[in-house]
Amino acid sequence: MRGLRLEASSDTNGLNSFEDALKALDNYKKKDPSKVVVRFKAVGNAPIMKQNFYKITSSNRFQAVIQFLRKELGWQAGEPLFTYINLSFSPAPDDTVANLFKACGTDGHLIVNYSTTQAWG
Amino acid sequence: MSNYGTTRQPGGGAPAKDKTTDYHTALFRRLSWEGTVPIEIRVDPKELPANSDRGLECYYIQAPRVSYLPLLLPEIRRFLMDVVFDEAAASGLKEEDWWFETEEGTITKWHWPIGLIFDNHTISLSVRSSAPVASSQAQPLRLILHLASPPTEKLMLQPSQEACKQAFMGQLKEADFIRWGSTKRVTGLRKLEQDGIWEGIREHNFDDYWRVASKVTPSATLPPPAPAPGASAHARPPSTDAPSTFDRDGAYSVRSIPVRVYLPDGPILQEFAPPLLEDGSPNTLNSFLSTHLPLLFPPRPPAPPPSRSKPNPQPPSVPQLAYVMIQGVVSPSEAEMGWLGVCMAGADGWLSICVGINR
Repeated sequence: MRGLRLEASSDTNGLNSFEDALKALDNYKKKDPSKVVVRFKAVGNAPIMKQNFYKITSSNRFQAVIQFLRKELGWQAGEPLFTYINLSFSPAPDDTVANLFKACGTDGHLIVNYSTTQAWG
Repeated sequence: MSNYGTTRQPGGGAPAKDKTTDYHTALFRRLSWEGTVPIEIRVDPKELPANSDRGLECYYIQAPRVSYLPLLLPEIRRFLMDVVFDEAAASGLKEEDWWFETEEGTITKWHWPIGLIFDNHTISLSVRSSAPVASSQAQPLRLILHLASPPTEKLMLQPSQEACKQAFMGQLKEADFIRWGSTKRVTGLRKLEQDGIWEGIREHNFDDYWRVASKVTPSATLPPPAPAPGASAHARPPSTDAPSTFDRDGAYSVRSIPVRVYLPDGPILQEFAPPLLEDGSPNTLNSFLSTHLPLLFPPRPPAPPPSRSKPNPQPPSVPQLAYVMIQGVVSPSEAEMGWLGVCMAGADGWLSICVGINR
């Protein structure tokens, strides 16, 4: 029915603006398929893994990284595991790998330190 | 009014201009701190313990924006135990199994500030529903309280105050890192101060909070004067400029403002936000958002060159597809990111920008 709608040239907030906005939102919802290189670094008595570099999908939340690490270490859910970025802070569990890498990446990867005790709490 | 919003002066008295900055800084910090949102909490009727007083299971709170849901639990529990629950039936309840979700089924996060939960939810509703935008009367955030089977993966945290405090301190440090590339300002706080800043939030005490926060929040200095249009940086006389009073700890000296942008129903964006652009002018909401979300905030093309018939041409208008909400207030696009970062940020140091859609 577009042909029946009068287009006011000065109207920049017409019906199609809302649709354009919705389309934009959908566009921004698309998950980034790219991967980020995460480098796991053991701290203190934490065991060093055979493999320390992993490619992790950008859109993953940090919570998924923690779960992945637990699996690689073979640790149960109850065993204490503390994780930090750049030996500096513990991210919010819903921070995405993409966002953390953008803000704190060094030398093309994201450094995740892990330990059995709370170091920088 | 509390003095904790002041700029730090190198020495001597503060000139009149800085006293105005102090006043506005303190004013906006106080306004952000005192902001509250209405919450309506209803226990899931299917989970009410036996012999509960039905019909009374709804609790209303006007909650501080800067607070967190776990901090509200003791008050809610007291009400439910006093008024609603039968003591015997309720004795088996474990607060660590309690969790909230919105009426639309969104699980609310323990580590998100209440103001953020509210704004994000309000905007999300306004985008989804075909009803016209709500009137000026704020609709309460309607939460359903569940008493068992918490979806631990989605909640990500225990509802304990200790877990909430840890998450808060983590965010404070992350903000510090974003600003300066190190967390030494936060980790340099004495244990008493670290506990004190959280106590300020728990007790909702502005002075207690800012007593410590002022040590880790950049001071709200004015931006250095931007170079005149057309003048190159080299042409500026080196000795008479702002650098002599340049505040290395000021809002305009940070590497990046800790900011997250919340789109309705996600995603959450985090982008580098320098306080000054390459040309030395302050980074504004408009420049930040048109750079990173150009589909929603189209960049305004430059004005056409002046002509005889139009000696003062304006740049063409662009569709206003979206708006920005910070601490519940729709923000003007020319607001400076540096200023927002130290005056309108949340208690955890993060500037939360909620994007809504215009109808």
